[in-house]
Amino acid sequence: MASAISISGVTKRFGKYTAVDRLDLEVPVGLTFGLLGPNGAGKTTTIRMVMNITKADEGTIRVLGEPLADEMQERIGYLPEERGLYRKMTVIDQLLFFAAIKSVEKKTALSRLEKWIDVMDLRPWLGKKTEELSKGMQQKVQFLGTIIHDPEVLILDEPFSGLDPINVVLVKDFLADFKKQGKTIVFSTHVMEQAEKLCDRIALIYRGKKLLDGTVKEIKNAYRDRVPLPPPVEPEPELEKIFIKAVEESGLQAPTSEELR
Amino acid sequence: MNRKLFHVIRREYLQQVKTKGFWIGTILIPTLGLVFVYLQVILASTLIPEGKIGVVDLTGRLYEPLVLEQKAVSDVDSKDGKQEEKARRVPAKITFFDVKGTVETLPDVRKELNARVQKKEIKAYVVIPADGLETGKVEWRARSVKADMILRESVERALARAGTKERLKDQGVDPAVYEKARLTVTLDPREASEKVTSEDAKNVGVNLAVSGVLFFLIYISIFIYGAFIMRGVLEEKNNRIVEVIISSVKPTTLMLGKIIGIGLVGLTQYAVWGLFAFAITLPGIVGVMGLAGGAIPSIPGGTILAFVVFFLLGYFLYAGLYAALAAPFNTEQEAQQLVMIPGMMLILASTMWFFAFNTPDGTLARVLSLFPFTAPLLMFMRISVQPPPAWEIALSIGILLLTIWGVAWFAGRVYRVGILMYGKKPTLPEIIRWARAAD
Repeated sequence: MASAISISGVTKRFGKYTAVDRLDLEVPVGLTFGLLGPNGAGKTTTIRMVMNITKADEGTIRVLGEPLADEMQERIGYLPEERGLYRKMTVIDQLLFFAAIKSVEKKTALSRLEKWIDVMDLRPWLGKKTEELSKGMQQKVQFLGTIIHDPEVLILDEPFSGLDPINVVLVKDFLADFKKQGKTIVFSTHVMEQAEKLCDRIALIYRGKKLLDGTVKEIKNAYRDRVPLPPPVEPEPELEKIFIKAVEESGLQAPTSEELR
Repeated sequence: MNRKLFHVIRREYLQQVKTKGFWIGTILIPTLGLVFVYLQVILASTLIPEGKIGVVDLTGRLYEPLVLEQKAVSDVDSKDGKQEEKARRVPAKITFFDVKGTVETLPDVRKELNARVQKKEIKAYVVIPADGLETGKVEWRARSVKADMILRESVERALARAGTKERLKDQGVDPAVYEKARLTVTLDPREASEKVTSEDAKNVGVNLAVSGVLFFLIYISIFIYGAFIMRGVLEEKNNRIVEVIISSVKPTTLMLGKIIGIGLVGLTQYAVWGLFAFAITLPGIVGVMGLAGGAIPSIPGGTILAFVVFFLLGYFLYAGLYAALAAPFNTEQEAQQLVMIPGMMLILASTMWFFAFNTPDGTLARVLSLFPFTAPLLMFMRISVQPPPAWEIALSIGILLLTIWGVAWFAGRVYRVGILMYGKKPTLPEIIRWARAAD
């Protein structure tokens, strides 16, 4: 299978500290890949090197079979962990700016947006300044900005951090849709549950080194004898789903940002 | 690449220009400036010395001539006297009154007059001692020894004229000769060259004023727009948008776009102010300076060219520094310590203007107009006063370009690392290490 991202022997040091240590990683095209590890494991540094934001000290990185170049950034959608928007810009100006710096023509960007605006209930907000939007609404805009150039690969650094359950579902649905189009998704997280549910393959890194790599099933099988099994549980509804159901059944409208302020 | 730079510039420019604050500032600053100028004009015309002034004349000869002298001044004011003569005299509404006194009664006289001054019945009084015509020393008593400067000067002048005429009489000369013989001299500055210069004498004052205004404009704009850049860099960091942007645009492109965009905002402001100036301010300045005709001054083309060149060089030099020094920090307060360094250099340059103005070819002026951080201001000043040799201008521009290149290199590297750094406030050695390590 062709690799969407291929990392071999990559090392990155900051002074005496080695953030990433001779890392090898293959992300096959069309899969959802989870980059796992505790805080400070080197996930963000690895992702930044793939995005050509930080340069590797050693080793090579190829994306979609090609060596790193600035043009490559236009084929990747990147949602950094530290993310935000221009507070004083209107939603539409902001989205068109994101499109423009990914070399997307205005006309193309507008027609792509048209598809998403209604799905995300953004239409009434297009002319509003970002700072007037609720946090959830801002996250939708942020997400839309990440995919406005219709990328082949999506790299998300801790995409669920700071999202409320409703937006988590929105992002999950979105990822599923993206995957259906045969596109590659890489996301980092330190929440193992999410990784287990969403990923085809996972890699665990710790102190810049890769400890585990494979499909979830492969890894589970490899550790079956060494890790105690959990007691069998009755299937029960997930709290997340319950939350959403309760909200729906309440019949109440979502608060507007006016109310939230 | 170039298109991305264009989009970054466009965003930066529109974001600034679209704000209400920009237009309020743009309109308010020149409006306030105009109000200020006109207030000064109006207030200046109210500064007419007036008041009752007692005269204790122990010479016994000066009171009458003094009153005559004062009457002559008032006549010149009311009559359409000679233009020049009129301009030289301050219109006065002073009334002198005679106070009889002798050396013996002087303490009592003083006591009484002091009381009248304190009760504000009279403004002040003078005591002319018996030898006043020899020494020229006259006592002035008023509520304050500091206030009423213009009144004091008027009385001084009237006394001097009256005294001079009395002394002429002693020499057997008709005092009328004095008025006829008096000569006022005005130096008419011209360049020592054969070529006809555009700066005729009347224009020199206005041109210098304009140079001063332009000098101040370079200084203040670098300060203001430097702060804009610093705030913009910190804002992108604090909004956490910077990493989103640099996954599409190179950090150096983002930095350059910000600098050019804000530079264009500055030029827009200048354009608006320029219109203002030609509409109203210049005649105002001319009026304030009391120069005849109120003609629009013809600023030499060289001065305007030098302004544009040195404004741009200075702006890019300092803008790069401000961007680099803001990037490693999280708040304006944190950045303040390091940002003070370019600020101090700018202030140094601005305080040295007099050297470039008065002795444009002196050693200090020459050194400071070559030192890159003071050159934008001081070389401009030198050029507008007395153009230095072409090689010095070329050398100054060359050094500036080299420094800008060096600052851009440093700024690019510090910026690239700094914008991704959150948390602990870095030290200067750490920042320099980033610049060396970044690639």
